[in-house]
Amino acid sequence: MTTDAVETAVARLRAARRRRHVLVVAGMILIVLVAGTGALLVGAAGLTPGQAIAGAVGLGDKGDVFIIQKLRLPRIEAAVVVGGAFGLAGALFQSTLRNPLASPDILGISSGASLGAVTGLLALGLSGVVLSAMAFAGAGLVAIAIWLLAWRKGLHSIRFVLVGVGFAYLCSSLVAWSMARAEENEAAGVLIWTVGSVSDIRGDQLALVAAGTLVLSAAVTVVSRTQGPLSLGDDNARSLGVRVDAARIGTLLLAVALVALATSAAGPIAFVALVAPAIARRLVNDGGAALAASAATGAALTLVADVVGQHALLGVAAPVGIVTGLVGAPYLLWLLATTEKRSR
Amino acid sequence: MLTSPAAAPAGRREGAEAVAHRARRRTLALATALIALLLVVLASLALGVRDINPAEVWRALTAPVAGFVDHDVVLDQRLPRTIVGLAAGVALGTAGTLIQGVTRNPIADPGLLGLNSGASLAVVCAVWLFGITSPIGYVWFAFLGAAGAAAIVFSVGRGQPVRLALVGAAVTALITPLITLVLLQDQQAFNLYRFWSVGSLTGRGLDTVAWLWPFIVVGVVLAAVLSHRLNMLALGEDVATALGQRVGTTRTLSAIAIVLLAGTATSLAGPIALVGLVVPHAARRLIGTDYRWVMGIAALLGPVMLLAADVLGRLVLPQSELEAGVVAALLGAPVLIAVARSRNVVGA
Repeated sequence: MTTDAVETAVARLRAARRRRHVLVVAGMILIVLVAGTGALLVGAAGLTPGQAIAGAVGLGDKGDVFIIQKLRLPRIEAAVVVGGAFGLAGALFQSTLRNPLASPDILGISSGASLGAVTGLLALGLSGVVLSAMAFAGAGLVAIAIWLLAWRKGLHSIRFVLVGVGFAYLCSSLVAWSMARAEENEAAGVLIWTVGSVSDIRGDQLALVAAGTLVLSAAVTVVSRTQGPLSLGDDNARSLGVRVDAARIGTLLLAVALVALATSAAGPIAFVALVAPAIARRLVNDGGAALAASAATGAALTLVADVVGQHALLGVAAPVGIVTGLVGAPYLLWLLATTEKRSR
Repeated sequence: MLTSPAAAPAGRREGAEAVAHRARRRTLALATALIALLLVVLASLALGVRDINPAEVWRALTAPVAGFVDHDVVLDQRLPRTIVGLAAGVALGTAGTLIQGVTRNPIADPGLLGLNSGASLAVVCAVWLFGITSPIGYVWFAFLGAAGAAAIVFSVGRGQPVRLALVGAAVTALITPLITLVLLQDQQAFNLYRFWSVGSLTGRGLDTVAWLWPFIVVGVVLAAVLSHRLNMLALGEDVATALGQRVGTTRTLSAIAIVLLAGTATSLAGPIALVGLVVPHAARRLIGTDYRWVMGIAALLGPVMLLAADVLGRLVLPQSELEAGVVAALLGAPVLIAVARSRNVVGA
């Protein structure tokens, strides 16, 4: 084969992969649109498509406008933004640590966010953006503590997870204690916060999270150039001129920031960061990290889970985190059962 | 293995000394554990918002004067929680040692492996579906829930010991949303759960202990019988089988004892985390690796840790109290992290 022929073959392969990635992202966006439309129309007050469109642009019946603009649309937007952030963060964790188990759920970060938020809710009576800041601080502090304690000539994933479990016990016992001391209705709020919910996110919180996620995503696209070489192993990446440790720490910090941001607004929505990248990688199937597809999958997954939780579980409006937990935990169990077999 | 010819006779000579040394060490460990237990029981009876001197505690126990406040406090408030702590502590210490022995995994206890959350889910369902609110009523549900969680964890986590903790975390992650779903349905279950899930020694009367102690006795006796088999199992499954042990029987009997002990402890004091993890490690530090002794020392140290946590919680926050379960988690988490960091656990 001539060099030209090789080059065109490679270019064709690359184009095919890119096409597939774009196709997956487009498919996920389609799911978001369908589920979003469903979420706009169905509910305690059923609306026709016409009423919904009129409500969205501020025309038509005042009640409809309120339902669409104040209740349903923000909730959909929140699910998409938060889900996307979780999906992207999960993909970064998993590709950087080269471990499909790596996700903020089992890395103890969520528990730190919960403790921060619960302290803010109950002890200081905070809400909105200030409360988000508390959760963000809690997540960040616990994440850093876990890393400092688990780092020993590199990250060993099981040690990492076990240190995370230790912190999860520490934080969750304090959360349980606060919940036992709280007033009855406050305690219910805490309970919902600790599972993760997109129902009560306020406009300013949402704007903050959306802006933050955009900025962090932009940073991710810069860092993501190192992901390909890194997936070839540290030595190969180094020989390609990548500063391995710097790239890894930078990527992980971005991932933690994304998770902390999303958690600070919506609570620790379980397992989106674990499951979304796994689905995305399987669909894209190019051996890469599938970052954009993971974000899109996270958004679709969270939105669909929220719709299911609102309408299809035992007659209660369940927070989205319950649905994702019920889907994600069996996946984690399956992952553990099968990786164990493979490694034997 | 390297053995120089000169080392053999020297080793034999040291054999007798080693036996004597081991006997001394065992006596010392037993004495330490018993004295520690005595001290925390005394502290649990004497200390709190109202400190009562030991002599008065003794008089309250032997010749109580009706209507004398110090005596009433000792008998009505502190004695019941001390006895609950003793019973739950023995159960947790024994269950933890048994789990670590049978899974050959230093990072295991009823909480980490999801048994506590299984029991919690069953108890919450008992309150929600049947309106059962007394421990005597829901102990059967606690057994059932713990057994279900144990079945999942042991079948998925088999083979690779360290993975077991991950499987336990996954089972807990599966059960937690189910619990939350029930709690959102039922305000009564929620109010019961949020006080119960902290892990407290108060709120359970002596009548509960009087009803549940046989389960603990059966569990402890099973554990004692099994401890010799655990010694063989520690050498590896193949060795244990070659020595004539039916490993499957050991596993089944251990699982029964673990479920009995963990279920009873959870019914008595709520889902208490990390006591079952820390206590066997402490016992091994004191006495070595022979499970027959580790089991006994752990059964004594379990209540030491639980009661010490309870007393500390009373002293740290005298007005509102930190429950024993919270303090136990605060004390136990650093130990878990230290064990996770140790080289021989993850082999890297």
